[in-house]
Amino acid sequence: MSECQSYGSCGHQWEMTNIQFGFVVFEKCFHCNGLRTYFSMEDVAILGDKYREGDHFWSRVENAQSFRFDLQCTRCGHLEKFEDMMGLLHCTGCLPDCEVEIQRKKYEAERTWILVAFGFLPKSKAEPIPPGKLDILTDYFNQRRDTSRSRIKIISFNLIEDLSRCRGDFIHDVGMLSLEPPKERKPLF
Amino acid sequence: MTTQDLIEKLGLKALSKFEHRNVDGVFVSDMLSDVMAGAKSGNLWLTVQTHKSIVPAANLVDVSAIVITSGKDIPQETTDLASKYNIAILSTELPTFDLVGKLYGLGVGAK
Repeated sequence: MSECQSYGSCGHQWEMTNIQFGFVVFEKCFHCNGLRTYFSMEDVAILGDKYREGDHFWSRVENAQSFRFDLQCTRCGHLEKFEDMMGLLHCTGCLPDCEVEIQRKKYEAERTWILVAFGFLPKSKAEPIPPGKLDILTDYFNQRRDTSRSRIKIISFNLIEDLSRCRGDFIHDVGMLSLEPPKERKPLF
Repeated sequence: MTTQDLIEKLGLKALSKFEHRNVDGVFVSDMLSDVMAGAKSGNLWLTVQTHKSIVPAANLVDVSAIVITSGKDIPQETTDLASKYNIAILSTELPTFDLVGKLYGLGVGAK
């Protein structure tokens, strides 16, 4: 255990490390309508690929160029791994009764912008990213910005009651093989 | 150097509502993941991407402004979202390469 973990006095200064670029792959089962996501470093991820796995018939429905990373404290060397994080979503305020939208309005009054962290599905529905890790991510983004202007707050996607109704906007790269960005993105859930 | 200085010196067009601020370095990329992984607070972000998701990415890393190069058409929803977040969206007819050269000439380099 590092000194800062032992005494909690480090006041971590985070930097991004172990950056790996790849794809977040979205697959749907046309048998049970389940959705699963994972990170892939394949050079060419092919949409429409289908395969059977037990009772599931998975079909690749979306690839998004993305990256994964860890955060490391520059003072004490403590490493916090984020391999379980799929990405960040910008809330578009689509559902007035959604807890994320309620939090968004509350925090925006304080010039704090909300972003929603997703873990990989379906695993993270049962095992969400721990709040302490989201606080570390919040600290990382705030440490490198001018917080007198505004701040960032990362919250968990588990606050979204019904993913199938969410029309939030993932911050990831889609349509990168086109010179023109897609006019409209398909809902992912 | 501030965003106001750059607008005046380079003839950039301001498309959103924002407060001027200091520019500290330049980051060139058309990938949001690249920006989130590599851009620094205060950077001027040069891109040809115009989708509205550039705004939360820019906000996340606290860039000083997004400059859309090559005269790309920018959707209204992108500039509206940028205004809401106090993010500067500037545009130019110049290709990215030419703009980088002019920025370098003004002493604004990578940070």
